[in-house]
Amino acid sequence: MTTATLAPAARPLGRRLWNVVRLHAANPFTIFGTPLLVLSLILALNWLIWWVIRTVAPDDPESVAEVSQGFQYSGATLWIFVYMMVVAIMAMNLTFSFALGFSSTRRDYLLGSAATFVGLAVFYSLVYLLLSSLETWTNGWGIGGAMFTSIWFGVDSPWWLRLFHVFALFLFFLALGSSFGAMYVRWKARGLVLFFSVLSLALAGLVALITATGSWPVVAEFFVGVGLTGTYALSLIVSAIAGLAGYVILRKATPRS
Amino acid sequence: MSTIVEVRGLTKRFGSLAAVDDVSFRLEEGGIYGLLGRNGAGKTTLMSLLTGQEFASSGSISVFNESPVENARVLEQVCFIKESQRYPDDFKVKHVLRTAPWFFPNWDQDFADQLVKDFRVPLNTKMKKVSRGQFSAVGVIVGLASRAPLTFFDEPYLGLDAVARQLFYDRLLADYAEHPRTVVLSTHLIDEVSDLLEHVLLIDDGKLLVDSPADELRGSATTIVGARDAAERFVGAREILHRDAIGGLVSLTVAGLSPQEKQAAKAAGLELGPVSLQQLVVRLTTGTPTDFEENQEVSA
Repeated sequence: MTTATLAPAARPLGRRLWNVVRLHAANPFTIFGTPLLVLSLILALNWLIWWVIRTVAPDDPESVAEVSQGFQYSGATLWIFVYMMVVAIMAMNLTFSFALGFSSTRRDYLLGSAATFVGLAVFYSLVYLLLSSLETWTNGWGIGGAMFTSIWFGVDSPWWLRLFHVFALFLFFLALGSSFGAMYVRWKARGLVLFFSVLSLALAGLVALITATGSWPVVAEFFVGVGLTGTYALSLIVSAIAGLAGYVILRKATPRS
Repeated sequence: MSTIVEVRGLTKRFGSLAAVDDVSFRLEEGGIYGLLGRNGAGKTTLMSLLTGQEFASSGSISVFNESPVENARVLEQVCFIKESQRYPDDFKVKHVLRTAPWFFPNWDQDFADQLVKDFRVPLNTKMKKVSRGQFSAVGVIVGLASRAPLTFFDEPYLGLDAVARQLFYDRLLADYAEHPRTVVLSTHLIDEVSDLLEHVLLIDDGKLLVDSPADELRGSATTIVGARDAAERFVGAREILHRDAIGGLVSLTVAGLSPQEKQAAKAAGLELGPVSLQQLVVRLTTGTPTDFEENQEVSA
């Protein structure tokens, strides 16, 4: 009669998830160093451009105000959102295989990654808020420039709403990246091509439908109605769906070499 | 005896290909197992199934008396060093060694530090950039220092030079003696590890061909060396597993002989020798004789 060797109790869930969070940050340069460094470089570059524009533009108060307002249409920080999407894609692709190689379960890995991404969104929206406050306080980096007080996050909104807008957008890109990465791991390039084909068709169909029924004013009215904050709040729904999709897809995925 | 792994009727299909085909076996706690077989025989797939990285098509797997799939309790006790393990793009060797202790509860940092020195791995080089040998060495270090009660090494020495391979065997044996555990070693460098192995699982084309203690397997065949006439007369109608010939001398490998038969062979002036594990495996996993063997038989 043989008996079976049993495993001792597993370590607590919190400890296992924390391991995954630490795993994502094992090389802090990737998720902190590089983005912050590039952001500083973009700021420096923008500063030079602002300086050039200010030098050539007329310097009566009205023109100065006009130019400053124009700066607020800045998309200079869009890069960091896309970078976070790439971080999420890479995490799902390579860190997933690595974590499983280190005997993590998919569930622990995915929950830990979700915690990491929410944490990253919080961290970067705080950094963003800090920089935008600094921007206001220094009167546009001493030159009336605008990179972090951009129109896209609400120039007149209170700070906590701006924080929410930025947070929602970071979460949106991270969640989207997670779902794309998950699709790639599970179904490789073929899955992504199929997904984007179907998505493009669906979007084109939607546009056709709205145009055919002459509903564009309704759509415009809807977004004006919900406003900036409402739109960002709605993005949370898309983020939740994308995040959940990433979770469901990877729960059944196997690491490929 | 205590069972640590039990597999019943395990099958894994990729499309129409059965990478693992109706395999059943049991591993007892403590011992160094050799998982042998040719490239593509299904060794890595089998180990991936046992560690919950792949999902079985059918059959059952029990590790520590539970299914390993998505089971943190079981997986924390398991370390699987995969030959084709992927690492995050930005990971240097030091990042791998920094993260490993978080995941393996029995990790021994002093042992890991010693192994880093022994294998001379460059801590500040990216995993993408290290040589194949150094890549393998990182896996070996993690696998040994994790001290997981159930450790799988998948072709652990690819690219390692002879010195490093010897170092791996020495460290494995020494640490295994001090901290007994169950080790599964998949390999095709059979002769080199054959002294290490206590039990052999031979898999070919997804099927389990041999599940036997290594000594028994070695004794299952004998090489008979002597003058051609005498040797062939003795062998008679027995199946010849392998044949070598030099001048008037032949060396014939046949399946296990009884003690009486061995005596008779000696009386007939023939010499008996052991057969290496590698030769047996080659013989068992080659469906037809190779061209080389056929040519030899023709010339003989």
